[in-house]
Amino acid sequence: MSDKILVIGGGFAGLTAACEAAEMGYDVAIVEREDYLGGRVAQLNKYFPKLCPPTCGLEINFKRVRTNPKITFYTRSQVESVSGGAGDYTVKVKVNPKFTTPQCMNCKPGEEAATTEMPNSFNFGMDTRKGIYLPHPMAYPNQCVMDASVAQSDEGKTIAEAMPDGHVDLSQASETIDLNVGAIIVATGWDPYDATKMDNLCFGRYENIITNMMMERMASPSGPTEGKILRPSDNEPPKTIGFVQCAGSRDENHLSYCSYICCMATLKQITYVREQYPDAQVYVFYIDIRSPGRKYENFYSKVKADDKVKFIKGKVAEVQEGSSNNIVLVAEDTIGGGKVQQEVELAVLATGMQPTGAKVQIPGIQYDADGFVIPQEGIIPCGCAKRPIDVVSSAQSATAAALKAVQTIVRRAG
Amino acid sequence: MAEQKKLQPDLAFVKGVMEAGGDTVNKCYQCATCSVVCPLSTDESPFPRKEMLWAQWGLASKVAGDADVWLCHQCGDCTKYCPRGARPGDVLGAIRANAIKYYATPRALADMLGTSGGMWGAVVAAAVLWFIVAAIWAQITGEAFPFPEGSIEFHKYLSVIPIDAVMLPIVGLISFVCYKAITAFWADISEGANMPRSFNGTYPTPPLGILVSNYIVPAVKEIIAHERFKKCGQTAERTKGHQWVLIAFIILFIVTIIVMVYADILGGLLGMEGFHTPLALWNPVKIAANIGAFLLIAGIWMIKSMRDAKTEEGVLKSSQQDWNLIWLIFAVGVTGVGAEIFRLVGIKLIAYPVYTLHLACVLILFLSLPYTKFAHLIYRTTAYVHEKWAQDVRAGKAGFGLEKPVGTDEH
Repeated sequence: MSDKILVIGGGFAGLTAACEAAEMGYDVAIVEREDYLGGRVAQLNKYFPKLCPPTCGLEINFKRVRTNPKITFYTRSQVESVSGGAGDYTVKVKVNPKFTTPQCMNCKPGEEAATTEMPNSFNFGMDTRKGIYLPHPMAYPNQCVMDASVAQSDEGKTIAEAMPDGHVDLSQASETIDLNVGAIIVATGWDPYDATKMDNLCFGRYENIITNMMMERMASPSGPTEGKILRPSDNEPPKTIGFVQCAGSRDENHLSYCSYICCMATLKQITYVREQYPDAQVYVFYIDIRSPGRKYENFYSKVKADDKVKFIKGKVAEVQEGSSNNIVLVAEDTIGGGKVQQEVELAVLATGMQPTGAKVQIPGIQYDADGFVIPQEGIIPCGCAKRPIDVVSSAQSATAAALKAVQTIVRRAG
Repeated sequence: MAEQKKLQPDLAFVKGVMEAGGDTVNKCYQCATCSVVCPLSTDESPFPRKEMLWAQWGLASKVAGDADVWLCHQCGDCTKYCPRGARPGDVLGAIRANAIKYYATPRALADMLGTSGGMWGAVVAAAVLWFIVAAIWAQITGEAFPFPEGSIEFHKYLSVIPIDAVMLPIVGLISFVCYKAITAFWADISEGANMPRSFNGTYPTPPLGILVSNYIVPAVKEIIAHERFKKCGQTAERTKGHQWVLIAFIILFIVTIIVMVYADILGGLLGMEGFHTPLALWNPVKIAANIGAFLLIAGIWMIKSMRDAKTEEGVLKSSQQDWNLIWLIFAVGVTGVGAEIFRLVGIKLIAYPVYTLHLACVLILFLSLPYTKFAHLIYRTTAYVHEKWAQDVRAGKAGFGLEKPVGTDEH
């Protein structure tokens, strides 16, 4: 028996669940696959509907983690398997090496010595990084890390020599540890759905088609364009922008469910565009706009009142390349009648959320056909591992999950 | 709302569509992916999204007035991309099946020929009919029945005179039924296309000469060239088979007319010696007939294989009406060639029954023209013609006092 709680995933839901459980007096371990905590929220520019930066919510949680000795966390780590039962689980965790030490908070000398440029996955490949890097400017833990392939090459040695003594440790190796826990909170979150799978939307074929998450990075001051929304083909400000809703969501051939956040994300991103480019014309192609609740509905009304934003009811099902790398979005205007061929300078696909369980499943945890986690006694999903939801609902579901995890332990002990 | 419209859903119509293979219609949530991915749908009047809605709501009159249903060639592209599995391609196929029954008189004949039991029963009945006619004819000619003496010559069993005596009244009847159906269909789609009416309340129709030269001839050319079929994405490979079958029918039609003149008029009516079938194998008309027979069998087999494969893949659903037509055409071809081969090799016992069966299949295929899926020949052609006509009327190019461009939103 163990009264320790494991939280798989250190995104907004996982952090919240961990803090709540720890503050109830339980020992908590967080296992996070990335090099930083904060998950997808860390990649956002702003939250909807308040339009404040994600740091506000994340900083509070980071402080709770920092100041609470009951929380330990493992980054660049994966849960390999779960065995046992409620109250007494054995969890195998693979902790991968970062090839750096916690005092390595500035890797400028190493970056200068490094030669290989690689796509920066934090920015969805819109820029590059070196083999040693800080995951992102607001990263917590604030520790530079090394790419494993670089660390094991000769370039790794060059970087190590350029860095101050004791910052780089190329001898690190991955290790597998066993954790004994009483309950498991699964907050493994989501990945953006692979937009190349919608062959008719031509993502990856034409440069000026981006996804909504790429738009977040672009609009973020720490992003590849320092917050400027630009056309990838020529780095010029776009004068016309088209948003393609339900790009993969609500579609039996892709994600059969509604991803819940894409409508609000688009409405939010329209405010980025309109703020940066007061003359830009925006087109939104949709099946129906889902803005549930009073706050979201008000947000939608506000955006709809903007006469530079045109909503066209009809899903984009064909994309062509227009003149000067423009994108032509083809849809049927089901209200106005006839087909619309709208040429835009930048197209944004509102791609949906796919639970990480669709690609990677942890043995010992049950998943449904879409990859969402099925709750069991002692294994409690929250956030987007459970269903597609926004940040607020993720936090709420995380608090509920923490309570259930504590209940599991208390009932077993009693 | 300024204007209120009360919808009268026709639930029997919805049920009919669902029974004819369109049972997925209610899954549609109107995203309009289908209208965009459809390679045949036009910018002004995209389909099949609107047809899906009308079918869901039971707006039978809207669907009846919609020529676009017939401009669909069931490529299956919409079905492949449909996010809900609503299978618009199959629903439109079901709507067409319903429309054929709707315009058919008498409706009971469409119901009967629509089932495979009914259709093959009709073939058997027709075979019995030909057998009886042949028996009566043998009394007049004095030939041995059912296997005439000497070399196998089908005119000894049934010459063109008794065949025409049966076929020509049926041709007349079918022509009348088709004419009635086409005019009713034309009026409905004129209404659906928001065509302006003339002073006496009728829809404009071009004079016959212009109808033929400006509209029917280009439409037929387009149909023979299979231009729209070639645009189909998922089922583009069907083009060849369908084109072969269509060309085969045209060849066989012409050959039949030539033989009718040759044997019926010159040989039969005028009693000229030697003008009777069978034609020699080297005769150009016979060569054309054999080419037609080959194209017919090969073409229909390609269509069958395509449909098997595509049904397996899930691109399209095949209903009984689809298979009925394929097998009936196949039977016409095989019995025709079979009769010829058994005649040439001289197996009397098989040649005459196969010939009887061939005549029976031909009779039923012809009879089914306005009643089964075969009717797509007349409705799709009419829809092509009407589409061209409606375009000219809207563009103000049709003349007859309609020079003013007519917008679809005018009432």
